[in-house]
Amino acid sequence: MSDAPKTPLLIVGDPSAAACEGDFCAVPGQSEQALVNRQLDADLV
Amino acid sequence: MLRVSDAIKVDIWSDVQCPWCYIGKRKFEDGAAQFGGDVEVEYHSFELAPDTPVDFDGTPVDYLSQRKGMPVAQVEEMLERVTGIAKQVGLDYDYDHVHQTNTVKAHELLHFAKSRGLQLEMKERLLKAYFVDGRHVGRIEDLAELAAEIGLDRADVVAALEANTYLADVKADVAQAEAYGIQGVPFFVIDGKYGVSGAQEAAAFANVLEQARSERGAEVAQ
Repeated sequence: MSDAPKTPLLIVGDPSAAACEGDFCAVPGQSEQALVNRQLDADLV
Repeated sequence: MLRVSDAIKVDIWSDVQCPWCYIGKRKFEDGAAQFGGDVEVEYHSFELAPDTPVDFDGTPVDYLSQRKGMPVAQVEEMLERVTGIAKQVGLDYDYDHVHQTNTVKAHELLHFAKSRGLQLEMKERLLKAYFVDGRHVGRIEDLAELAAEIGLDRADVVAALEANTYLADVKADVAQAEAYGIQGVPFFVIDGKYGVSGAQEAAAFANVLEQARSERGAEVAQ
């Protein structure tokens, strides 16, 4: 993969997954809460 | 001509001192195992903090609190949480012994290792060295030692790193990340088509790999 991308990527997955940006790596408090919320919605909690 | 049996290509942008990159690596590997098909992985360079000195005088807690103006207690709590999440995927992060550094030479080494067919082994060794073993991953001599541990020739590594032989490849990876619009790592590009950002759950990786495979099948059938 040495050529510049010609088509935009289709972004998939959880948009709030933990990542490092710049020189900072945030802790995914929001995504953890989102997971709890989804479990509540699904009556799993 | 497309063949269904061809491996799904996964290009991963990552930095050596990115805690989510190591966690994401484990989750991706789990997802690829769930997928069960052939996957070809290639790592690409991403420098989170290219202005960091090789011999940063301080700990990661010092680094984050100084650079971000965050209280030490808040940084410590954050690293404790990351360490706990790493533990869940079998990684024993040891932030008490991490050497914050500049990773450009580590990225050059990854390109050197790729040229010798050992990039995946080198990536795993560098991440473990940094987060688990408390090894320095910024200095040429330390990197040569780690490279020798996976079977690379120490003298060749030192020569390549001193000559900046693979620096252009590192910069090309960074430029390609910018072209893709990648702002954070880990970032996974599946079959040149799908982008997956961050340390996703294993099932997310399995799903997108399956999606890529099914689309290849559909293209071949047409």
